[in-house]
Amino acid sequence: MTSIGTGYDLSNSVFSPDGRNFQVEYAVKAVENGGTAVGIRCKDGVVLAVEKIITSKLLKPGANRRISTVDRHVGIVSAGLAPDGRHFVSRARDEASSWRSVYKGPIPISALANRLGSYVQAYTLYSSVRPFGVTSILGGWDSEAELAVDGQVGSGPQSGAGGKVKGAKSGGPGLYMIEPSGLYWGYYGAATGKGRQAAKAELEKLDLASEKLSLHDAVKEAARIIYVAHEDNKDKEFELEMSWISSLEGPTKGRHEEVPKELLEEAERAARRALEGDDEDEEEGAKGNEQMEE
Amino acid sequence: MFRNNYDNDAVTFSPQGRIFQVEYAQEAVKQGSVVVGLVNKTHAVLVGLKRNAEELSSYQKKIIEVDSHMGIAIAGLASDARVLSNYMKQQCLGSRMTYGRAMPVDRIVTQIADRAQTNTQQYGKRPYGVGLLVAGVDEAGPHLFEFQPSGMTQEMVACAIGARSQMARTYLERNLDQLNDSSRDELITHGLRALKETLSQDKELTVDNTSVGVVGLKHETGKVESFKLYEGQQLLPLLEALERSDVGETKEGETMEVDS
Amino acid sequence: MNHFPGTWGRPRDDVYGPYDSSYLRSTGPKAHTQSPAVTGTSVIAVKFNGGVAIAADNLASYGSLARFTDVKRLRVFGDAAVVGFSGDVSDMQYIDRLLESMDIRENYSAHGNQLNAKNLHTYLSKVLYKRRSEFNPLWNHILVAGFDGEKKPFLSSADLLGTTFSAPHLATGFGAHLAIPILRRLFPEERPIEEITKEDAIKALKECLKVLWYRDARSLDKYSLAVITQEGIEVQEDQQIEAQSWAFAETIKGYGAQTV
Repeated sequence: MTSIGTGYDLSNSVFSPDGRNFQVEYAVKAVENGGTAVGIRCKDGVVLAVEKIITSKLLKPGANRRISTVDRHVGIVSAGLAPDGRHFVSRARDEASSWRSVYKGPIPISALANRLGSYVQAYTLYSSVRPFGVTSILGGWDSEAELAVDGQVGSGPQSGAGGKVKGAKSGGPGLYMIEPSGLYWGYYGAATGKGRQAAKAELEKLDLASEKLSLHDAVKEAARIIYVAHEDNKDKEFELEMSWISSLEGPTKGRHEEVPKELLEEAERAARRALEGDDEDEEEGAKGNEQMEE
Repeated sequence: MFRNNYDNDAVTFSPQGRIFQVEYAQEAVKQGSVVVGLVNKTHAVLVGLKRNAEELSSYQKKIIEVDSHMGIAIAGLASDARVLSNYMKQQCLGSRMTYGRAMPVDRIVTQIADRAQTNTQQYGKRPYGVGLLVAGVDEAGPHLFEFQPSGMTQEMVACAIGARSQMARTYLERNLDQLNDSSRDELITHGLRALKETLSQDKELTVDNTSVGVVGLKHETGKVESFKLYEGQQLLPLLEALERSDVGETKEGETMEVDS
Repeated sequence: MNHFPGTWGRPRDDVYGPYDSSYLRSTGPKAHTQSPAVTGTSVIAVKFNGGVAIAADNLASYGSLARFTDVKRLRVFGDAAVVGFSGDVSDMQYIDRLLESMDIRENYSAHGNQLNAKNLHTYLSKVLYKRRSEFNPLWNHILVAGFDGEKKPFLSSADLLGTTFSAPHLATGFGAHLAIPILRRLFPEERPIEEITKEDAIKALKECLKVLWYRDARSLDKYSLAVITQEGIEVQEDQQIEAQSWAFAETIKGYGAQTV
């Protein structure tokens, strides 16, 4: 860190001579120490997962949820400073509800990501605030059905003007990741937090862009990836928390919900099995090497 | 001496991504006298050690009733705690007024946490210098939350904050298995014993320096047993129960030594 | 035709009298809604052993015009309650959106602490009362059906003034005059609710709807009916009033082209 001591890193919104905003970069450092979070987008839904490091035996098991529901169809998981994550979620909820009050319907995931990106970016502009110490993954499902307007009491004409074009597609999964700078991208698979490098490597193997992975398999992959990402941090125990949003035909009917306990446990068992398998392979591999050296 | 440039306000990250002003605020919590909280299946208990400024002065207030189903124990700046507890009282009354329902515990905790977070992200504000243990019951049962100046809150099975609280936490961790199945009175005794662990050699728990708050669900009916604060002479039976359990403990310890 | 193009095509003063522009006045006291616009008529509901049944027809009238004939005036709140609306339909839509956003808020965390019908009724009556105190009422009379905190069937009403009223059977609008006497005959005060079956309640509601359809000119023979029990909420929309017989109309005198 050559910047330290030059004075350009002491205040937010100040550029250094080489065009960097150091306070934002330091905020990213806070993210890099947080528990790993991943999101997977597939054709029929989105999965969010997070590694919760157990900092004390006195914590109530299963409580302290880190994935939040923003609106019926949207969830957010953050890595970094947990209180900042909650601030971010509360803003997301306000945006979603204000969208509803204006447009009388659920906010599209892309629009929510855009608004939250703008919000986070605003916290890089002023010396009177600090940037968000979180990177957040936003997952949701835009309904593919023709939705009733909120508060609608009857239906309009069945035919004529306002009719829908046959075969036209709308709705689908959405997954976005928003960084402390306010930068955001859409993703097939997103990872942040301490184990993001390992998680990204695993996500890339999944070939998500081909959209062949099913939602159920994505749940298992997400669990496995969190377990893999935890390998470098093995001395600490952790809890796995997962949520999902499926299509209207799927298990959650377009809603953001916790992954059911049975499925979560099944996914965790599979994840542990996969890891044990890897370890054995490695050990065998190591033995093989030794023999070869001999 | 090396001067830390990154600790002047709460809106500056250090190169490691830390916010020193918030960490210093957490230190203020450690200066406060210790409070302990713990839950079982039906009850949540808060116990606190009260300090007095001098021999003839009165003792601090460590436990505050927020509503009939909720109370808090404080460690750190008492005036900050008063601001937070007043806010909590108002919100709880508001919930009873508009919905005719007791405020769910997790919700009020989230609300003060969000307030605290705001103080760590804006220039000209300072983090709260107080940690809280929030104990209460709602439809989902008894709860205990820890609140920190950073805006971090966690639901706990048992917790202790304040000066020398590590000793109490160690006790709680060691007896964690017993807590869940303990009775209301046993839970109070566990709380007092955890509190006792933190005392320095020459100190002991008395009716003057101890405070106990209990809230829970009545065993028979499942209805709310209103928050009850035990202070002064009301503490006598509780302290006697503590003494009895201490005697039992030492006896057990002795026999075990003989056995080995 | 005269030489003032501004008056061309306008109603002539000498024929219709001078134009009353008082409603365009921009000074003077501010006036909010003075009357409802598009309205729904009666809502009727009955408590029975283990639940509540509630019904309303599917009509929204614009004055005496039957303007919309597929309007759902029973709104389901989560899995806890059904709210039946009579009065202004746009105000109903507004309240429905309030309930929608509240339902979303309530479900941010999935564990426990759901609002029940009683909480909902308290909230709605506060909303209605607040608005009437601002002299800007929400022009509705609502029935809230569901369960209270003790899991007992709950039925209560609130009107545009914020007045609340509760009884084992309730009706709003014209139903208060036409349905209540029928319901009182079927379910007299001395008959305990435990004796009334779900089928009794539904049958009674259908009977009342039929009478209302016969005698309330702003009603419809298409209706919605909801039954709330511990098992959940069943809503049937687009129901048709069956076994109609207008024979009684022959005997009614005092209107139309009759010569007595």
